[in-house]
Amino acid sequence: MGYAAAKGGLDAIRAAEELVRRKRVAAPSPWLEVDQLLDRQRLAVDRVMGEGGLWAPELAARALRQAEGDVIEASHLVRSHRSTLPRFAYADAVDADEMTILRRIVPAFRNPPGPQLLGRTVDYTGRLLDPMPEDQAREAAAEAAVAVAEAPPEVAPDAVEPDPARRRPRRLYELLRDMDLMVDRRRDDDPEPADITRTPARPGAPRSALLATMARAETGALVQLWYRNILGPDRHLHEVTLGEVRHGELPVRVAHPTTGEAVTLGRIRATEVEAIEDLDGIDEEVDRFDVGYGLCMGHNERKAIAMANLDIAVHRDQGRGPLEQSVLQTTDGLDASGFLEHLKLPHYVTFRSMIERKQARRDVKAAMVRGDDADLGKDCR
Amino acid sequence: MTLSDLLGEPSPGRTAQLLEPRPERSELLDEYSKREIRRACLTAVAVPGYQVPFGSREMPVARGWGSGGLQVTLGVLGDDDTVKVIDQGEDAGVNAANLRRLIRDTTGVATTTDSREATVVQTRHRVPEDEMTDEQVLVLQVPVPEPLRGVERDMAELARMHAEADYSKMWVSLYEDVVRNGVITRTTGYPCLVGGRYVIATTPIPRWDVPKLHQSRHLSLFGAGREKRIYAVPPHTDVEPLTFDDVPFEVERTPGACCRLCGAGSPGQPESFLVEVPQLDGPSTWVCSDSDWCMRRRGIEPLSEPAFDDEPHDADEEGF
Repeated sequence: MGYAAAKGGLDAIRAAEELVRRKRVAAPSPWLEVDQLLDRQRLAVDRVMGEGGLWAPELAARALRQAEGDVIEASHLVRSHRSTLPRFAYADAVDADEMTILRRIVPAFRNPPGPQLLGRTVDYTGRLLDPMPEDQAREAAAEAAVAVAEAPPEVAPDAVEPDPARRRPRRLYELLRDMDLMVDRRRDDDPEPADITRTPARPGAPRSALLATMARAETGALVQLWYRNILGPDRHLHEVTLGEVRHGELPVRVAHPTTGEAVTLGRIRATEVEAIEDLDGIDEEVDRFDVGYGLCMGHNERKAIAMANLDIAVHRDQGRGPLEQSVLQTTDGLDASGFLEHLKLPHYVTFRSMIERKQARRDVKAAMVRGDDADLGKDCR
Repeated sequence: MTLSDLLGEPSPGRTAQLLEPRPERSELLDEYSKREIRRACLTAVAVPGYQVPFGSREMPVARGWGSGGLQVTLGVLGDDDTVKVIDQGEDAGVNAANLRRLIRDTTGVATTTDSREATVVQTRHRVPEDEMTDEQVLVLQVPVPEPLRGVERDMAELARMHAEADYSKMWVSLYEDVVRNGVITRTTGYPCLVGGRYVIATTPIPRWDVPKLHQSRHLSLFGAGREKRIYAVPPHTDVEPLTFDDVPFEVERTPGACCRLCGAGSPGQPESFLVEVPQLDGPSTWVCSDSDWCMRRRGIEPLSEPAFDDEPHDADEEGF
């Protein structure tokens, strides 16, 4: 019986590992190259980086391949790799206005300041499974690759030299602020962002800890928590309109250890969202809007939108309900999945203890029915 | 390593040392993280039973699978230590075998299945039957560190209750349990008052093991990786199961049950925590959950450095 007492636990583990390895590594199809994943499974790689909390496209692609496409498993590989690395410095905080946008939409206005830049999206493409036969598709892809290499098409906005003003547009909430339509929540003490990987985020944590938690959270968990507020028992959201949905590049800068000057180490891609909330609470400024903020690594609009919505929802709840705790404690993919899957581990010691108590309860009950002089609960029958 | 190495701020020389490539093996935690864990452990020892928050790292085992215990073990291990890992009392369980392999391969320390030889015992759900000594550390993997979660979910309120030692909700819940059921129906992880101050969850160790923590000679460290907390029961500290003067604390005991392998529990024999082995064609039989203790009673000496390709606990023969 049983894996717990499995004969030679390590032999069983080794056999299981060999099965996984043989099926994945020694599959009869060609080896899956990292650049194939980077080029053709971009959104999955981005999600692994975002949920793994590490900007490292090639490592994330390798993790995705090793995890056989399981995003949470791949994020786990990336995060435990992070744990092996010493931390030598914190990056300087970057102003999100420095983002060079690759895509930007403003649902709140027809003609906002700055561009509506559709960019790389399938939002308005029919979700039709491509029926093209494999060999034709392969041929077409090869031809397209040659064509792109020879003549970059004019319609690809990334290919033309960006106009700085268009690529760094003013954000919508600034316009609303000018119109005196925004609650002013700016603060002048400008605290350092919390580091949730060093200090556990608990209710009452600063907003930066809340945002950092959601930035690393599992996408589906945030979407579910958002939807609970729309259809389910939580009602912390009223009527959100998106001010900004952006995908673009941000620089990463670190202070040089000797000169102290900021040095740009590289650039990451991020998705940024502003969620404009129509305040309607009795204790709120109902003649103004408020804004929630979402920012996550890579291209993951679903996550950034849910995050921005939940940010403003937590603010509006003011710690009255359990929402803040839910966001901080229940949205991490590794926490939830790991604990869920730990139910597969042997539990026969705890289960034996449960059976023993069930029998003890029966024995006491039987003694009471017989009218024995049971000490316990005698006066309370 | 000196104490100042453990506690001091990283010096430039130390940083350079950390930057040196260490090709001999890949470690699971960097030195800064180990130091952070040791500091949390020291705080936990200084305030027995208090849940010390720490920046739990992601480990190569999933959260809920011993990531907290593994971090504590890696944090406290020195080169001279000998590690034993058990799951449900058994060395050969798959998760115990995996953790032991990870610890051995990434730190190079010696491992053993003999409770008496180990200096650090990492465990899930059990305390070894052998009485542990003042030269041993018990590291318990903790899935749910909050003893009051059954009566309160709000973390701010929980923090207040612990801070003010306001355990009234827990007492009411135990009282209601007795009134409704005639017995306290808490199973494993029984709530205990440590040092007269903090109530802790005794992980899901069975009630059988709870007295082994009371005024023990060894140090017990509890690591909860997912919930990012470490707490401790230092040696010679009171660990009192919460119960009423007229309701005795009861450990798991089934009349007539005894280990079919070593006879533990039968008249004249010492008792041990037994697990049930259901039979298709008759009443259940029982075996010791502590496989190392059981084997030694039968004269099977464990190997100090287990050769993993051997079968230290032959399950087929024993009919598990």
